[in-house]
Amino acid sequence: MSEDKHKSFSFRAYAWAQFKKNKPAYFSLWVLGILALIAIFAPIIANDQPLYASYKGHTLFPAFSFKNNYQLQMSDGSTEKVQLDIARWKQMELETVIWAPVPYAPNKSDFYNSDYKSPSGEQFFKDKSGKKVPMPGRFRHRLGTNKKGEDVLSGLIHASRISLTIGIISMGIATIIGLIMGALAGYFGDSKLVTTRGRFWVFIFGLVLAYYYGFMIRGDILADAIGTSGFSILLQLFVSILIFTAVAYLFNLIGKLIGKLPFLNVQTNIPVDSFISRLIEILISIPGMILIISIAAVAKPSIINLMLIIGLTRWTGIARFTRAEFLKIRNLEYIQAGQSLGFSEARIIFKHALPNGVAPAFVAIAFGVAAAILIESSLSFLGVGVPPDVVTWGSLLSSGRQAFQAWWLVIFPGFAIFITVTVYNLLGEGLRDALDPRLKT
Amino acid sequence: MLTYILRRILVFIPTLIAITLLGFVIMVSAPGDPVERMVVAAQSGGEISSQTANQTEQKKFWNKKLGLDLPIFYISLNTLAQCDTLYRIYDKNERESLSRLTTEFGNWPEISAYYASLDALNKEHVNVRVDSASVVGYSLDDAKSAINESYFESSALKASYNLVVINAKLENLTELYKPAYMSKLREKLDAVKQRFKEIEQTATPWKKYIPALNYYPQNQYHRWIFGDGNWLTGKGSEFTKGIIRGDFGTSYTTKMPISEVISIKIFWSFFFTMISVVLGYLVSIPLGIQSAVKKGSRFDRITTVLLFILYSVPSFWLATLLLMTFANPDVLHWFPASGIEPVRGFPEGAGFFEVWSGRAEYLVLPIISYTYSSFAFLSRTMRVSMLEIVNQDYIRTARAKGLSERTVIYKHALRNALLPIITVFANIFPVSIGGSVILEVIFTIPGMGSEVFNAIVNQNYPMIITVFTITGVLTLIGYLVSDILYAVVDPRISYK
Repeated sequence: MSEDKHKSFSFRAYAWAQFKKNKPAYFSLWVLGILALIAIFAPIIANDQPLYASYKGHTLFPAFSFKNNYQLQMSDGSTEKVQLDIARWKQMELETVIWAPVPYAPNKSDFYNSDYKSPSGEQFFKDKSGKKVPMPGRFRHRLGTNKKGEDVLSGLIHASRISLTIGIISMGIATIIGLIMGALAGYFGDSKLVTTRGRFWVFIFGLVLAYYYGFMIRGDILADAIGTSGFSILLQLFVSILIFTAVAYLFNLIGKLIGKLPFLNVQTNIPVDSFISRLIEILISIPGMILIISIAAVAKPSIINLMLIIGLTRWTGIARFTRAEFLKIRNLEYIQAGQSLGFSEARIIFKHALPNGVAPAFVAIAFGVAAAILIESSLSFLGVGVPPDVVTWGSLLSSGRQAFQAWWLVIFPGFAIFITVTVYNLLGEGLRDALDPRLKT
Repeated sequence: MLTYILRRILVFIPTLIAITLLGFVIMVSAPGDPVERMVVAAQSGGEISSQTANQTEQKKFWNKKLGLDLPIFYISLNTLAQCDTLYRIYDKNERESLSRLTTEFGNWPEISAYYASLDALNKEHVNVRVDSASVVGYSLDDAKSAINESYFESSALKASYNLVVINAKLENLTELYKPAYMSKLREKLDAVKQRFKEIEQTATPWKKYIPALNYYPQNQYHRWIFGDGNWLTGKGSEFTKGIIRGDFGTSYTTKMPISEVISIKIFWSFFFTMISVVLGYLVSIPLGIQSAVKKGSRFDRITTVLLFILYSVPSFWLATLLLMTFANPDVLHWFPASGIEPVRGFPEGAGFFEVWSGRAEYLVLPIISYTYSSFAFLSRTMRVSMLEIVNQDYIRTARAKGLSERTVIYKHALRNALLPIITVFANIFPVSIGGSVILEVIFTIPGMGSEVFNAIVNQNYPMIITVFTITGVLTLIGYLVSDILYAVVDPRISYK
């Protein structure tokens, strides 16, 4: 009974019901789900290797294989080697075959259909005997090809992975920073974080040393890592952050002890809110696009760098929403109950307050993902910050600029960007309406 | 009110410093060696090669001219092992390899001696005589190529920090210096080897775990901001007057002063931004009012959906679509596809009217693309703020008084509803300068945005940083002005 009552007053259920009433937003959630499925299953949806093929008595699943070649034992005792990515599957004598819905890979040229073949126009196919024949319906390039003869539809499908991961991961980084910053600023305000003078200064000193041991000494190692690959950057960064945290924690403990000495045990306020608010103000005043373009121009072009840049510059909105929510939450009874029970501040903030204060941040996150995708596609349209061999919606659209007769290179990638951005914007609007307490009656 | 404005300006200053710092950090961490760039550029241009013949001198000169012979910032946190005058070494690669060696071994005096001996070895190559008298038992050509090879090898050694590589290079050099005519070099090499051994023997690697703090009153950041003369008056400056006096340095590509380039390019950026903002306001204010007043009507619903869609359309997509449709000989060739005026220019003495009517057809598509995004955003803001006002008591009172709907809306409601729109101006203005990079590239408009794009393609970092700093400062001023404007205009807010 009490369980039921609790449920009927749940804010989550209420917000969900509100959200469902908002038809465009609810619909956009479905569209987003479909986009996510397309991105996840891109290698199965668009692949030039068959999903299933039987070749000279062997049963093969090329699209699902982790290896790049097959050693096939022939009936006459010889072995035939099939290199999966360069085999001409469409010309091979396959007994039975199941093709992917889009039987082309994004980065591979179809020489018979190079130089901008229109979706509706004449396309050609090399049949098994090597003759040039009109394109059979199954293998048509349904959204045309670009100059090199690469299939546009396949490119679009695979590029959805890049756009969605950039949007989600960069906003993930921004969310972590924004939530922590906003929670600290809102919870402590300017007067609630009280510590001793000794502990404060020891901790500040500790932070400098933590930076020194975590990042300065390891500067050369980090620089080398940035020169090599995305993974080792993350690994070395992680090690550095670990050292940083350990040293900072150590000095925190030392500070606790030193804070007990006379003169150093005077209580002081730390103006957390002022500090974080100023930081946000500064970040907002910096022209975002130019900042990102400048950094992307200086850093090595890579998808991971792009995610980091966007994530590190785009957390302010989330932090502001969270801060406002925490300003309200910190005076609620359950927080006071936690304080009087002697829970640590960290436990109260992250375990009790954060789950209740996170809702408004969703709005900022949804809009943020839309903005991140827009930034990514603008950058790849310009060819800045994204490696040139990566096919993205922006780079496809940009390639259409060189030949306006190839309208399919402009319309379809642009439409993909537009749909994704719209969907996230609608989602943000829907969330805002659903979570806005002013609408509650 | 005055105190509010003063306080606002006080916040402005640290933000300004933060922006310059950020720009500076990006500039310093840019890859490549600017001296190298300048020396190459100078060689092709033949500027200082006439004054100083050899390349080392050139490098020294550019190092000084670009201020790279100074430490980077006022304070530096470093390891105890590190020498605090390392920045005086002008070659970036050598500087880095020395820094890495010091971090590894922690004994700067020995490493410095090693570097000096290496330098001596490197210079000795010039003194080696290669002629038929000195070279015995080898062909002259072989001897020359051997000397060349060893010269490059010893230069490469100066920029090596990996122990395996250093040992391999030392071996290689020993091999190369076997012939009799290279005996002098051999002696020098022995000294180098000796020094290198000393480094390994007297290594104090523990030193790198002890931090050291240094303070430099003269540094690159200071020089960038205030120039190399007196920081306040700018007197006595030799190479740069500092960005505070509008000196942004030299472009890597054209070697023109950047401030000159910017002052030419900024006109078109401003032109399109201003036009788009003015047009945006002209369209969006009536639209926002109408849809707010007729809330829930068909007109409102259609405009809301339409504006939402417009809001989500990427500007570069719309621009490309416009070009594809209206500047395409195959479809509709109404407008030219690129540029802002006829390629052949205007005849001598063309009047103002003639010039702008000639430009008109070039400006239509860019102006549409610039305007639509700001106008979608503005209309939505206008609608929301109007909706809030219309529901307030004083509007109900005005209606109850029997005032005409027209008076109520345009005289009572509009004034207050305009307030948020005023503040939005500050956001739109810098965004349209920064965001216009892509539109300027698409329409080949010779503004700041396309300049930034070219700078990125040519890795012309000073230009990128200059545009970043200028837009940053403009944004800040925009915010400052709009905040003060808001405080002045809105009677409901008091800033006592």
